[in-house]
Amino acid sequence: MRYRALCGMLLAGFMCTSHAADPIEALANTCNNCHGVDGVSVGPNMPSIGGLPEAYLKNIMLEWKSGARFSATMGRLIKGYSDEQIAALAKHFASKPWVPAAQKTDAKLVALGKKVTARCAGCHGETGNAGDGETPNLNGQWSQYLQLEAVKYRDDAVAMPSRPMRNAAKKLSDEEVKAVAEFYASQK
Amino acid sequence: MSQFNRRNFLKALAVAAPASVLHVPNARAASKARVVVVGGGFGGATAAKYLKMMSPTLDVTLVEKNKIYTSCPLSNEVISGHGNIKDLEIGYDGLKKRGINVVFDEAGTIDPVKKTVALKGGKTLAYDALVLSPGIDFNYGGVEGYTQELAEGDLPHAYKAGPQTLKLQKQLMAMPDGGVFVITVPPGPFRCPPGPYERASQVAAYLKGHGKTKSKVLILDSNDSFSKKGLFEQAWKLHYPGMIEWIPGASDGKVVKIDPKTRTAYTNFGEHKADVLNVIPPHHAGNIAKNAGLTNEKGWSPVDMLTMESTVHKDIWVVGDSCVHGDLPVYAAPKSAHSAVTQAKVAVGAIIAKLNGQPAPVPYFVNTCYSIAAPDWGFSVVHVYRVDNGKLVYVQDAGGISVIDTPSITTLRRLEAEYAIGWLRNIMADSFA
Repeated sequence: MRYRALCGMLLAGFMCTSHAADPIEALANTCNNCHGVDGVSVGPNMPSIGGLPEAYLKNIMLEWKSGARFSATMGRLIKGYSDEQIAALAKHFASKPWVPAAQKTDAKLVALGKKVTARCAGCHGETGNAGDGETPNLNGQWSQYLQLEAVKYRDDAVAMPSRPMRNAAKKLSDEEVKAVAEFYASQK
Repeated sequence: MSQFNRRNFLKALAVAAPASVLHVPNARAASKARVVVVGGGFGGATAAKYLKMMSPTLDVTLVEKNKIYTSCPLSNEVISGHGNIKDLEIGYDGLKKRGINVVFDEAGTIDPVKKTVALKGGKTLAYDALVLSPGIDFNYGGVEGYTQELAEGDLPHAYKAGPQTLKLQKQLMAMPDGGVFVITVPPGPFRCPPGPYERASQVAAYLKGHGKTKSKVLILDSNDSFSKKGLFEQAWKLHYPGMIEWIPGASDGKVVKIDPKTRTAYTNFGEHKADVLNVIPPHHAGNIAKNAGLTNEKGWSPVDMLTMESTVHKDIWVVGDSCVHGDLPVYAAPKSAHSAVTQAKVAVGAIIAKLNGQPAPVPYFVNTCYSIAAPDWGFSVVHVYRVDNGKLVYVQDAGGISVIDTPSITTLRRLEAEYAIGWLRNIMADSFA
C-alpha cells in the first residue's frame, strides 16, 4: 500500500521502480530470506528486526563485522558489506514499523517473568519497549529467540560485549530465563 | 501496436525525449506487461511474489504442476523422524491473494521468438518476460540399472521431497541393527551440495537414537571432497563414531551400476551390498529449460551473472537449481533454496528495469545454507558476492563455513541447529506468503 502511494507521488518526477525509489531495498531484500519481509520474522528463533533502533542495528552489525560480538552466522554475512551499506541497512530496517509477533505464551511463566524483569526495567523499560533510540525492543520479540540470546550471554566462551547483560543473564535460573523471554514475548 | 513495436517505440522515446516527458507512457507500458513464471518452488514463487510486490500493476502468472510444494531443505530430518513432512508443505493461496494468477499445469513448448509458453493443458501464455525456475530433473541412465520406475517404487532417491522421502524413512525404520544404509552421490554439480552428507548424519542419528549402533551408513561418492567436509567429519566422529564411512571417487567410490534385486551397488572395481540402497542419480537443469534449448553441454542453463537473464535467449530469466551462477569456476553459487531466492529477487529487479527501459540495478547475491548433523548440532556455509568492475566476484573476506574448533562449540552448534528451522520458516514465508 505504502509503495503504491509512494509511486503515485513519484510518478511525475521519477521512474516508478522500487530500486529507483530506494536503492538500499535490493540489498535489504536479501535479509528477508531469514528475517521476513520488512524485518517481521515468522520463524520463532529468528529475531524480528524491522523497527529496532537504528543505533542498535548499526552497532551490532559493526560489532559482528569487527568480531567484537559473537555471532553464529551474521558475522560471515556482514563482513561482505561496507560500513556505508551497514549504516543504510540499519536506517532502512529502523524505518519499518515494529510488529510484535503473535505467539502463545505460558501465563505462569509470564507472571514470573514480570517479577523477574523488574530489575531489567532500568534499561529495557517495564514492557521491554525502552524507546530511548538505542535499546532494542523486546516487547513482542520471539520468546524462543530471546531464550537463545540468553544462552549466548550465559556462556563464558561466547564473546558478548555487554557486561551488564552477561552478569544479569548469569544470575537467572533456567526457569527464570524462560520466564523473562515469555514475559517480553507476551507484551505488545 | 504490437509488443515489439511498442517497446521499440518506447526505447526510441527514451533516447529522444527529455526525462520528464516519458515517465507516464513508460510506466504504463511496464504496468501492462505480462510476466510468466514457470516453476513454483523457492525460486519461482519468490519471483512471482516480488514482481507483484515491486510492481503491483504487472500481470503475473505462475505455472506450477503441483498444488502443494514440499520443501527439500529439512527433508533429511523427516527421514530420521526428527521432522514432520507437514511442516515442509505449503500451497499457493498466499500468492493468489497477492493477485498472482496461479495456473496448475505443466509448461510444454517455449517459443522464445514468439514469446509464448504452451501449457500441456492446452492453453498458450504470451509473455513480455519469462522466468524459468524448473529445478532439476534426473539422468537415470547415469547409474546403470536405476530407473524412474525404481525411484518411484522400491528404490527412492528422495532428492525431491515428498512421497519418496516418506518411503525412504520407512525403509530406514525397517532396517535391522547391523544393516548397511548406502547413499550414492552423483558427480557435481548437484542440488544441495551438503545434502547427501546431512542425510548420512540424519540416518545415523536415527540409528543411534534407536539403539541400532551396529548399523553402518556408507557414502559411495563420485567426488573427492564435499561441502562442509570438516564440519561433518567432526560431527561424525563425535556423535557417531565408526558408524559413517565415506568412500571418495579417488578410492573407487563412484557407483556405476546397481542391481535392484539384490540391492547391490557396483563401482568400477568393487561391489557393496546394502540393506537400504539410496541412489541419488546425476541431475541436470529441469527438462523445461533443457527442452527450450536453454542449457549448455553439461545440462545447466548459463545466465548473465548480474541479471540472471539467459545468455541463450533474451527476455527469459533462469533462476534456481537450473542455472549456472556465481564467481565461476571457483565460487559457483551452490544450488540451494537461499541461492534461488536471492537470484529470483535479482531477476525481478532486472525484469522491472528492462520493462521500464532502464539499466538493471546493482545485484546482491548471498547464500546461507544450514545443515543439521545431530540434535542440537547444526552448522552453515555462507556465500556473499559483490559486483567489482562489472563482474560478479565472491567476497573472500566474508562467507565460509562455521568455525570448526572453538571453546563455544556447544552453544554455536545449538544456535545453528535452531536457526536452520527459523531460516526455513522465514524463507518459506518470504517465497510463498
